[in-house]
Amino acid sequence: MASAVTADRLQFAFTIMFHYLFPIGTMGMAPFIAWYTVKAARTGDRRYDRAAQFWARIFAINFVVGVVTGIPMEFQFGTNWATFSARTGAIVGQPLAMEGIYAFFLESIFLGIFLYGRGSVSRRLHALSAVLVWLGAWVSGFFITAANAWMQHPVGYSLGSDGRVRLESLPAVLFSPFLWWQYLHVMTGAVVTGGFLVAGVGAYYLLARRQEAYGEIFVRSGVLVAFVFSAIAVFPTGDRNSAEVTRYQPAKLAAMEGLFKSERGAPLAIIGMPDAKNQRLIDPVFVPDVLSFLAYGNVHANVKGLAEYPADARPPVEVTYYAYHIMVGLGTIFLGLGALGTWLLLMKRLDRSRWLLWPLMLAMPFPYIANEAGWLVTEVGRQPWIVYGMLRTSESPSPTVAAGETIFTTIGFVGMYFLLGLLFMLLVLREISTGPDGESHHARAVTGAAPG
Amino acid sequence: MIALAFVLLALMLSVYVLLDGYDLGLGAIHLFVARNDSERAATTASIGPFWNGNEVWLIAAGGTLFALFPQVYASAFSGFYLPFMIVLWLLMFRGIALELRGHFPSDLWRGFFDVTFAAASALLILLLGIALGNVLRGVPLDAAHYFAGTFGFLLNPYALSVGVLAVLALSQHGAAWVATRVDGLPADRSLAALRVLSPLVLGVASVLTFATFRVHSPLPSFRAMPLIALAPIASTAGLIGVFFFRVTGSPRRLFDASTLFLAGMLASAAVTLYPYLLPGYPSAESGLTAYSNPPSPTALGTTLTVVIVGLVVVAGYRAFVVKRLSR
Ligand code: HDD
Ligand code: HEM
Ligand code: HEM
Repeated sequence: MASAVTADRLQFAFTIMFHYLFPIGTMGMAPFIAWYTVKAARTGDRRYDRAAQFWARIFAINFVVGVVTGIPMEFQFGTNWATFSARTGAIVGQPLAMEGIYAFFLESIFLGIFLYGRGSVSRRLHALSAVLVWLGAWVSGFFITAANAWMQHPVGYSLGSDGRVRLESLPAVLFSPFLWWQYLHVMTGAVVTGGFLVAGVGAYYLLARRQEAYGEIFVRSGVLVAFVFSAIAVFPTGDRNSAEVTRYQPAKLAAMEGLFKSERGAPLAIIGMPDAKNQRLIDPVFVPDVLSFLAYGNVHANVKGLAEYPADARPPVEVTYYAYHIMVGLGTIFLGLGALGTWLLLMKRLDRSRWLLWPLMLAMPFPYIANEAGWLVTEVGRQPWIVYGMLRTSESPSPTVAAGETIFTTIGFVGMYFLLGLLFMLLVLREISTGPDGESHHARAVTGAAPG
Repeated sequence: MIALAFVLLALMLSVYVLLDGYDLGLGAIHLFVARNDSERAATTASIGPFWNGNEVWLIAAGGTLFALFPQVYASAFSGFYLPFMIVLWLLMFRGIALELRGHFPSDLWRGFFDVTFAAASALLILLLGIALGNVLRGVPLDAAHYFAGTFGFLLNPYALSVGVLAVLALSQHGAAWVATRVDGLPADRSLAALRVLSPLVLGVASVLTFATFRVHSPLPSFRAMPLIALAPIASTAGLIGVFFFRVTGSPRRLFDASTLFLAGMLASAAVTLYPYLLPGYPSAESGLTAYSNPPSPTALGTTLTVVIVGLVVVAGYRAFVVKRLSR
């Protein structure tokens, strides 16, 4: 049977990866909703109003699932990782408290105005609340990334003789360079997702020859945003994120690249399957010197391989390696797709290029995969540490919670999230098939009973 | 300063109970006071824009507890592992049922979501009440401050009675909300329900007050600060108000009176506990107080500043939004 720490890790990985699917959606859609709402308020163009309402309906469904799957996350540190919590709470708890107070209130209260106040509040306040919902989602992403970045690269603390962390400087925690590149990269990943979602739904309308006026708006704005932010995902944010990893977590870098032995002028493996047992890559395709250059800006630099680290300080190489290559591979494809779309947009042929609308529609799930893969790199690559260089994952679980209990609750989460996922898909697909011009079930439900 | 941290946490949790209390209480009586689809749509719509913001108080309080008293956060949540997981699941069911009922135009599914919403709300209040009861009574902790009891231990008669009182008191609160915010039959039925609920609240609250003296005999802070007697006086006044304003038929005041009653009860509970955050059992001393692993002065100052400034801003824009939406 699994040990307690394995059960806790499985539960955490499953619940956070499921939760994260929804924040990506809200953080990625919110800028579009704000953009369309503000545009409608300024030009009086009803199409943008309907476009904003359409995405707001999808946003609302997405938001609910994000909220209900987020609440267990907030308390899982206490239930499953009590030792970790007791020792590091003085710092990790700080951004979590700030997230609640500075982001969740903002997002939920102004979402109330945005969804329920249409018609009863002024247009300006309504448009302002769309922007504040966006701000709330992005601030929430900031604070949670701050918690994570501190675990990746602890700063601004001192260690008591009882092993407990003490907060020395909140600004040091919130302005850590590791955090800022990570945060910008995470937000970029969300906007890429938002762009491909909007473009993909638009492509569907154009391909199906329905709601074409909206299809055009969505494809154009989606493709443009997806292209610009796919580029930002590679450079500067992806590149700088790698640089921070190289500096602070060289073992993770080696696992990401499948580099087993240290090398001067290390090559970049584009393809290849890591074989951890024999410490080599199977069937690799190398580009010479490139890894040394990417990591240190110098083709001759020495890059340390995994073999240089003691066995109990090496991250699991397979997951880290594959996840990294999936993210980067998909990122390259997004960039190509975005560039092609933007070029056709400038040539004014995008709406008629069905051969490109098909891949745009089918691309919708892939940014989600890239984002999840990125987190796998970040989190698995930091093993065996839960707080890098300070606290091991194996030392962190709750002393009083047995593996059996965690397995039981994990089964509960899996069952519930499966149903929740089905329900979510059902409702979103129905909104898409209703479309911006159709009469929505949700609109009827809300107007049928105005708040008293 | 550490006392201030204790007060801040008690305040945040109390605001959570007062605010989420009315929408949880509304859930508990939902099936009885709203009988058909349009009535149920109206009662749930009355909390639609607010319930999530109310629930954020729980998250914010949880985060603040985590930052200020990590050991208490760790011991309490890992100690109450299974009941707490059930609380989390109920919160999920409830949020989903509440938000998604409107998406299903069929009576069949709406009925399903209504029952889920009502059952999850009532069970949540019961479980949170039982948790409060156990915190008041104390729980067995080992030398490292982790829970050393069993699941069965948590289901003692005292804690169960606190759970029952919580269900009654928040149902009363929810009924007062419906009477204020919803027109027509649901409001009338809520006022009728109060005729039964309020006497029950009075009865159970009185019995439990004496029981609390038994489980928590010393009550050090009462002797030190007689002014604290204001808390129970306030709750008594609130309950009298609930009876009075139901008869005079002024629902808005009735809601305020119910709020005062709950606030008084919660303040009394906080006073009874101070300085304990998680008392031990059988003797409170083996538990955790606010001074057991105090935050460092830097951490304390930072957290208090960040939390208080943030909450003042939130209170400002929340008041603005509630006013705009209630017109
Ligand atoms: C659409 C999403 C997406 C795309 C196209 C990319 N990434 Fe990414 N990446 C993420 C979404 C993401 C993420 C999910 O947002 C992560 C997880 C944690 C983080 O900081 O961002 C991430 C993590 C992450 C990490 C690990 C950081 C750490 O361990 O702390 C590195 C080194 C990179 N990325 C680098 C890149 C590079 C060089 C890319 C070039 C193609 C790239 N990413 C494309
Ligand atoms: C910023 C907030 C986050 C914090 C504080 C955090 C913290 C943790 C903790 C405590 C664990 C368990 C110990 C471990 O196995 O490493 C963990 C593991 C994990 N987390 Fe995160 N995490 C965060 C964000 C995320 C996100 C957004 C994702 C993905 C969507 C993610 C994916 C994972 C995965 C996959 C594991 C399992 C790694 C393994 O078991 O090898 N994390 N993280
Ligand atoms: C362990 C890590 C995490 C915890 C403890 C956590 C906690 C929560 C909680 C409690 C909520 C509900 C808020 C409400 O009631 O309004 C929530 C929602 C949300 N979370 Fe997470 N979360 C985690 C990971 C993440 C990550 C990594 C991100 C983004 C980078 C994120 C972004 C959001 C956003 C934007 C929301 C708003 C609801 C939504 O957009 O779906 N969360 N989270």
